[in-house]
Amino acid sequence: MRLSASDLLKSYGQTRAVDGVSVVLRPGMVHAIVGENGAGKSTTLRMLAGAERPDSGVMTLDEASYAPPSVIGAAALGVSLVYQEITINRSLTVAENIFIGRLRQFAGPLGFIYRRRMEAAAQTILERIGAQISVSADTGRLNLGELKCIEIARALSTNPKVLLLDESTAYLDHREVQAVLRVISELKGQGMTVAFVSHHLDEVLAVADELTILKDGQYVGTYRTTEIEPNEIHRRMVGRELARSIYPPRPPRDPSKPVVFEASEVAVGRELGGVSLNVRAGEILGLAGLKGAGAEALFAAVCGDLPVRGGSMTLAGRSYAPSNPTSAWGQGVAYLPGDRHNEGLIADFSILDNLVMARPPHHGPFFDRAAATAIAGDLIAQIGIKTQSVDSSCRSLSGGNLQKVVIGKCLAVQPRLLLLNNPTRGVDIGARAEIYRIIRQKAAQGLAVILSSEDMPELIGVSDRLLVLRQGQITHRIETAADATEHDIIGHMA
Amino acid sequence: METNKTSSATKTPNASGEPGVNASRFEVVKRGFPLAMLVLLIVIFSIASPRFLTFSNLLIVLQQGTVLLVAALGMTFVIMAGSIDLSVGSIVALAALATALTADSLGAAAIIPAIAVGAAAGLINGVLLAKGKVPSFIATMGAMVVYRGVVLLFTRGAPVSINDEQFLDVYTNRTLGIPHSVIIGLVLTVVAYGIINRTVFGREVRAIGGGERVAILTGIPVARAKIYMYVLLGALCGIAGLLQGARAMAATAQLGEGLELDVIAAVVVGGTPLTGGVGSVVGTVLGVLIITLLSNGMNMAGVDPYLQNIVKGTVMVCAVFVTIDRRKIGIIK
Repeated sequence: MRLSASDLLKSYGQTRAVDGVSVVLRPGMVHAIVGENGAGKSTTLRMLAGAERPDSGVMTLDEASYAPPSVIGAAALGVSLVYQEITINRSLTVAENIFIGRLRQFAGPLGFIYRRRMEAAAQTILERIGAQISVSADTGRLNLGELKCIEIARALSTNPKVLLLDESTAYLDHREVQAVLRVISELKGQGMTVAFVSHHLDEVLAVADELTILKDGQYVGTYRTTEIEPNEIHRRMVGRELARSIYPPRPPRDPSKPVVFEASEVAVGRELGGVSLNVRAGEILGLAGLKGAGAEALFAAVCGDLPVRGGSMTLAGRSYAPSNPTSAWGQGVAYLPGDRHNEGLIADFSILDNLVMARPPHHGPFFDRAAATAIAGDLIAQIGIKTQSVDSSCRSLSGGNLQKVVIGKCLAVQPRLLLLNNPTRGVDIGARAEIYRIIRQKAAQGLAVILSSEDMPELIGVSDRLLVLRQGQITHRIETAADATEHDIIGHMA
Repeated sequence: METNKTSSATKTPNASGEPGVNASRFEVVKRGFPLAMLVLLIVIFSIASPRFLTFSNLLIVLQQGTVLLVAALGMTFVIMAGSIDLSVGSIVALAALATALTADSLGAAAIIPAIAVGAAAGLINGVLLAKGKVPSFIATMGAMVVYRGVVLLFTRGAPVSINDEQFLDVYTNRTLGIPHSVIIGLVLTVVAYGIINRTVFGREVRAIGGGERVAILTGIPVARAKIYMYVLLGALCGIAGLLQGARAMAATAQLGEGLELDVIAAVVVGGTPLTGGVGSVVGTVLGVLIITLLSNGMNMAGVDPYLQNIVKGTVMVCAVFVTIDRRKIGIIK
């Protein structure tokens, strides 16, 4: 089916989220919608899917007028949405997750579910998308990429003609992303109309036939992916000539600088088995690896969240064995978790509350508000957090700004060692460049940084040295990250 | 008030243009609700009974409410951290017993064993939760039964009377017409307000309720703060037990039974949500006044005693219905 929309308009209060966007989705074609955070990509997609109602504008499905009242209404007309968040319930089976909300269709006369019939139907859908998942698999043990495939299967269970995917690869690692992209290509081959939103241009260029660029809620243009250069896409997304690189220049390495952190034969849980590494003051050490390869476990041990099973660590030359995160932060180790919303900050709290959370200034037992305001104001200026007041709730901030608050929280304790777990997840390119600049600037002042990321260009562009992890072991050491290639790294990851 | 910072901050224009910009007016309604409810109750009961709005009745309300207030101040911390304590009524009974057993020899200094017993009971609860990782609902439900059992075992069901003149003089007399218990309640309110709004500990407790995982990974000493807050609640329940025992001039096995429900109701009606992260001492004072006035006023107005529970329960649910933050509905930890 052909889904087209013209001149869509959507406002929230004073803000025009989408302001005159037109898009045409054709059968057998993959259409990508790209833009910075807040460009209106998701809102556009959600209007197409019936999750939001446009204030004005016309949508047509084939030749008929199309104005779905809800996501369910849209599904009935043949348009299905895959949400950005993972919405799989891990206490249900694969088949139950796929048919959730429509389990009744497998009910017998007494209301009991014919499990076998349901599982057969689920398996058919999973095979159709080429996902290597068995319906009898334990949902608790599947990885995020597999869960995403189940969500796609759920979206397909209503037999849609149009499939819309909202940021479906945001929390996936390299291998999982490949799985989802394969499914998209598979569906395209079957004549499905597919549209997706993504932050990653390499994904867009890998599977999309056409792309629509949005900027500040406005329509910039639609292009065939074969006809536009990546740099040109960037330029049109940001609206200005981008600096030659978003990565800050690397100063020459100084091997005379002291080693800040050293791990020897550190083993953690089942994930990490005997890893040795060190990082010097002023250095950014990159860790590449798939999910579960050991970087998360290493961070958990260094920040005191998980006990070390074997091996030893030193911090600033002294033996280091934090019993909990309080002890780690107390010794100058700051940790930026990968999950901003559940682990990084408390969105209901003010910017100030989050910034001074790790080490609140105080006189005896009393909190020193004046000092806290000064510290917060200083961090906001230094990091470039865009806000009117230190007392604003973090709920009012965009993803990039939120992440800057988490970075500010880490820098507020003036750490020796900074652990960054995917610091730019879901952050747009402008804010990303600023985050890289801050990290590099702090490193130049003597901070040691360990960076774990699923974003390969980021690892190569930001790190000084790189380590590749696979199944809890270091499989490759790259002394000069600038010379590394993605191909080389991926080869040692999988 | 500082504790309301988060809710007032959400009123600032939503820069990202997310849905929810219309929440601000609703927010104002929510925050003013406990006060509006209190005023409404006073108006209704003054019309229903001429004796309601008199100085002497007001003093009775304050006196009746003090035990509830002292316990509710401590509960504000626990609920702000997203936890719960069902054992407060039993701790009050335990502390009243400790008071009664020592008042004759210690006089007014019987407050020391009262606080010590309360704090010890709170310490056990806190350690069970923070170190034993037993969810507070279960841990304190067990503690409620055990502490009450200890009181029963000691008293064998018979009341222990308090006869010491000096003790009764200090805790039940009046100065300038104001009962000493009410003065103690006011002082403790100011102290609790200071701890919640001005100390690092108060911020730690709030952060635990706002996002425990975030608090842990940010290096906040979560286990320690949890233990401290249960000890604080226990100590306050110790004082509440002493005041209750002094009023009754005896400790009984039934003393404080069902108090936990009134205490939790007062905190929640005052606007501190069970989901944690927000807490207000002023709200708790309002909640205590609402709960106490409701009983007092209904008695004054001659409402059928068999109808009163239905009214009380309905008021509680309505208050929570209005004030609850539906973005954050979760399970009580």
